[in-house]
Amino acid sequence: MPHEEEFPTLPTEGMAQDEHVILEIDLLGELDALPHPRFERPLTVSVRDSKMLANPPWVRPLGRLELNVQTEGWKFPAPPPEFDKPPPPRSEPAEKPAGRRVVELAELPDDHTDPTGKPKEHIRPRPTADTVIFKDRLLYLLQPPLDGLFDGRSLGVPFEPFPYQLEGIAFLMPRQGALLADEMGLGKTAQTILSLRLMFHQGMIRNALLVAPKPLIFNWSRELKLWAPDVPFEVFPADPELRRATWHSSNCPLKLINYESLTRDADMAAHPKTFFDVVVLDEAQRIKTPGSKTAEVVKSIPRARSWALSGTPVENHPDDLANIFAFVDPGRIPKDTPPKQLRVLTQDSILRRTKDLVQSDMPPKLIRDLEIELSPAQKAAYELAEKEGVVTLNALGDTITVQHVFQLVMRLKQICNFDPRTGESAKLEQLVSDMEEVAANGHKAIVFSQWVEPLTAIAAALEKFNPLQYHGRIPQAERTPILDRFKADPSCHVILMSYGTGSVGLNLQFTNYVFLFDRWWNPAIEDQAINRAHRIGQKHPVTVTRFISENTVEKRIADILDAKRKVFNDLLADADKPTSLGLNEDDIFGLFDISSRPKRG
Amino acid sequence: MTDTPLPPASAPQPAPAASVNSGNLGFLSIFQDVGGVLGGYLVTNTWGRPLEFRLSSAVQPNKVQQILYGPTLSEYLHTELIGKTLIEKTATQPGLVIVDSLAALGLRAQINIPVVGLAPEHPGSADPLAALPADVIGFTHPRSSVPLVLSAKFAHDRPEIEAALDKVDQSVDLSEPFVRVREAVSEARKMGVANRAA
Repeated sequence: MPHEEEFPTLPTEGMAQDEHVILEIDLLGELDALPHPRFERPLTVSVRDSKMLANPPWVRPLGRLELNVQTEGWKFPAPPPEFDKPPPPRSEPAEKPAGRRVVELAELPDDHTDPTGKPKEHIRPRPTADTVIFKDRLLYLLQPPLDGLFDGRSLGVPFEPFPYQLEGIAFLMPRQGALLADEMGLGKTAQTILSLRLMFHQGMIRNALLVAPKPLIFNWSRELKLWAPDVPFEVFPADPELRRATWHSSNCPLKLINYESLTRDADMAAHPKTFFDVVVLDEAQRIKTPGSKTAEVVKSIPRARSWALSGTPVENHPDDLANIFAFVDPGRIPKDTPPKQLRVLTQDSILRRTKDLVQSDMPPKLIRDLEIELSPAQKAAYELAEKEGVVTLNALGDTITVQHVFQLVMRLKQICNFDPRTGESAKLEQLVSDMEEVAANGHKAIVFSQWVEPLTAIAAALEKFNPLQYHGRIPQAERTPILDRFKADPSCHVILMSYGTGSVGLNLQFTNYVFLFDRWWNPAIEDQAINRAHRIGQKHPVTVTRFISENTVEKRIADILDAKRKVFNDLLADADKPTSLGLNEDDIFGLFDISSRPKRG
Repeated sequence: MTDTPLPPASAPQPAPAASVNSGNLGFLSIFQDVGGVLGGYLVTNTWGRPLEFRLSSAVQPNKVQQILYGPTLSEYLHTELIGKTLIEKTATQPGLVIVDSLAALGLRAQINIPVVGLAPEHPGSADPLAALPADVIGFTHPRSSVPLVLSAKFAHDRPEIEAALDKVDQSVDLSEPFVRVREAVSEARKMGVANRAA
């Protein structure tokens, strides 16, 4: 190696063996071709070659050999310890609290396959279109199917919910604002309770407030014990001081309050420290009047979710729906929105099913309009009263008001029930006759009237059927025992109810006959009354008898109401006409041949 | 001196299974997507309710990687690369991992948690267990509508797996949560989250 000593030597003193040094070469100057011990001939150095020499090994890179993966994760609310208990062991029989029927597994068909053997589509909550945060969407997408949860093997329920009820739960769970508007009797209460129960279990909600009419609080309590025995609840007490403690101190996850108490506690309800993950309004038509104290208080409650329940969200006018939505989703419906746009604006937040739609196997409801000829005494009294009444109304001239006409209508309707002088009643004779048949077949019946007095007279006439009475004059504490007795006592064949007290929230599906002794002004209220009997759980056809005295104001009112009855359903379908569903002023004046009209302006 | 026979060099050292103090279940699904192989991992409680979800980016091996990894590529992707990463990065630890492919059964050698799989469908075969490879053990359990499998190398996990499944609520079917996982992955793709993970 003669030229070896001619290689430039590197300053190696003090350097580790694997340390690199940068050799400064003046590439612009004149370079000599130096011999290299590995090559036979001296290399010709160029800039390109020098770069290659500086980057051993001399191979062309083929890309990365190692594989990499990135991940992203989302953690969901953990169920609170009280709702995160282990499932019941398989070997133990299902718990059967007293008075409850838990479905036995052996009785259940395999719900995972249909008769053709194909797997059934699962019913699951789905994120709504306006759920934009991916984590929120995931939370609902990853929920387990609802079918199978309530078949009696895992969660205690009195009976397995129907598929449409599971769909109702799947509708409610992901929604911040929702109106469950199922026809009465389809189980809005159970659907709501099961939705709340699952959300408590999942940790999606920690507290909830349920607002209901006072007579229904007991019913809610009873249903809660049935459908959510593991969810503690507390009813706001009547005493204001105790209520204050409930507002401020109670940690109970679910609280129940009636509208009247809520209105009285407006300050506490609207307090910034008050916050509910869900506020549920039962019979939400109670807030249909904008500006009413009830509506204002309800809307002021600080809350994350707003659910409204109503089988009759439109009682009188399409605006009723807009006013309920002022709670469900404030700002959703701009002021002065034309009724024809209501459906478009609200449809993704409303779920309404009718019995015809979901319960093809439910026993039918047979409506029997019974036109009764007044007794001679009634007829004479009626004709005299109407004749004198019309004369009086005409004499009022432009001082007449709708109240004047109302008074006459009420007077005539009372005569249609009973002759004021003799007490004769053609309707009562028919009712007694019908009740003979009802009782003979071991059935039970409900009789509705607008007034309490006729109910008292009816009770006397139906004495042999052991009638019970349930109306506003019955003290609150006595009402539940009356209902319990009506259900349990086979000798009690009839219960007499006023529309005001008995038309909402009661479950009387063991009853197969409903008599409307007189008609209410609004078909929606009548429907509510009828549906005390014709509801989920009913196993037999329900016969509804509507007494109408022929050639009277009752018949005229019935004709008007029948013509308007379909508007309610139309609005929730495709109708675009804003029409009053009850009697409006023109309807009332049109009941009689009177020329007087109120003075305007 | 007595010679103790050593296990064959290829056999994995069986890690002792973690005690099943958590009743939680981990559902790991790894599948081929248009962008490559990706995984979704859902941890539920014993009622099947979601506790945590994790998604991987899609891995698309290049030609050289396919050649160099050879036949080990699929198992490497399913177990070491995607499966193990997803499980280790998830805060909520399960007591049992359920996978939906035979290729992911080898995950058991990478983690200290029992792994059980859903037996693959064999449309032509009346008994899906009859068509299983020799290194896989098949069995059934009431919590699964399809037969279950575990690696024969970890046959000793079976009592622990069955004990864990006995604690699962009766409404849960082990095959069902995989539907949720795939829907969640699909949703992630629609919302661009899958790209973000990549």
